[in-house]
Amino acid sequence: MQAGRGARFPSLRLLLTGWPWLVLALLLVAIRLSKGAGFSDLYALVTRPFWPGSAQSEWLRSAQRLDQQTRLGQLEADNQRLRRLLALQQQPGAARSAPVIARPAQGWWQQLMLGQGAWQGLQVGDAVVAPGGLVGRIAATTPTTATAQLLTDPGSRVGVWVARTGEHGLLVGLGTPRPVLRFLDRDARVRPGDLVTTSPASTLLPPNLTVGVIQHLDASVIPAPEAVVQLSAPLAAIDWVQVLPIQGRSDG
Amino acid sequence: MADLWRRSWCLATGLIVPALAMGSPRWLQLDAVAPAWSVLWLLPWALVDGPISGALVGAGLGLLLDGLHPGPVSQLPALALLGWWWGRLGRRDVVLERSASLALLSLTGCLVLGGSLLLQMLVAGTWPASAFQTLWAQTLITALLAPPVCSLWLLLWRQQLPGVR
Repeated sequence: MQAGRGARFPSLRLLLTGWPWLVLALLLVAIRLSKGAGFSDLYALVTRPFWPGSAQSEWLRSAQRLDQQTRLGQLEADNQRLRRLLALQQQPGAARSAPVIARPAQGWWQQLMLGQGAWQGLQVGDAVVAPGGLVGRIAATTPTTATAQLLTDPGSRVGVWVARTGEHGLLVGLGTPRPVLRFLDRDARVRPGDLVTTSPASTLLPPNLTVGVIQHLDASVIPAPEAVVQLSAPLAAIDWVQVLPIQGRSDG
Repeated sequence: MADLWRRSWCLATGLIVPALAMGSPRWLQLDAVAPAWSVLWLLPWALVDGPISGALVGAGLGLLLDGLHPGPVSQLPALALLGWWWGRLGRRDVVLERSASLALLSLTGCLVLGGSLLLQMLVAGTWPASAFQTLWAQTLITALLAPPVCSLWLLLWRQQLPGVR
């Protein structure tokens, strides 16, 4: 009797004292059967503050920028060397940054007044570049200011080309935000979306400057087609520009 | 000719015109086109000071403004003509201080100024696609601003020359 009673009491005591282990075992079995459900979620919740965040992505972007800048520098060096071999115009000398000190309202003239002038080395004909690409040329200088005639000015005429097809044209300002590209070829093969740049063989402007994108092509115009160009530089939001000296003058 | 032109500070107020032409406030523009500040300044001057002073000051203002813009197009002929015309009107016995009169005179002056510019652009082969939009917008905003602005100028000039009507 005593032996039988003794054999029953220890198993009950074991059950009473060991229930946490039983729960743990059941939990592990559940995790195993559910392929980690709950456990993985709990781990994710606890470690969320330590996940790779904006800092890591910023490092990656920074490394990517560095890589792109290095490659751009190498390509520009290659470009310079090849242009020298082909006796084409060299890239312009040092660019001068100039603040936009007056921006007359849209009207009869489309121009910017810059806070640098002849004393700082600016000359009539210099290219004016903003973030996004070419915006115009210097039309007049005073000792400390310069007036830049925008590409949208009715008197502006700039030779450009479409890189994809290699076709040249004349970018003519109309007094509206979008100038018109008049092609020299009757059979222009351009299409909306084509990039417009300054010609690689240009002698009046620095080569390969981005100008804009063809927005609309009117093939019915005689004698040659015309295209409306959306300038890539936002003219209304420019506060600083860079002035690139014309060919044969790199006194930077 | 009255004596307004002899007072150098009165003439110096004309420097406001190129300053406003270069940095016209956006809230005083219509469809991104600024008013013709030269018209708003020259009209009261010429009405008070007569045709010769009006023409000379208009020509001077034209020279000043032409120096601020690239290209061969000039505002000088139109401003000199307007100064002379408004000066002659000021010598007549017609009351021109009313808002409607000032608005109509400035409207006509703005049309003449814009028309002369368009004519020169047509000859130069640089006719802008937005010609009429610019002309009408500038004319309207100038005519709208003329009654308050020109009245204040007229008041100021007549305070300087009490004997002048």
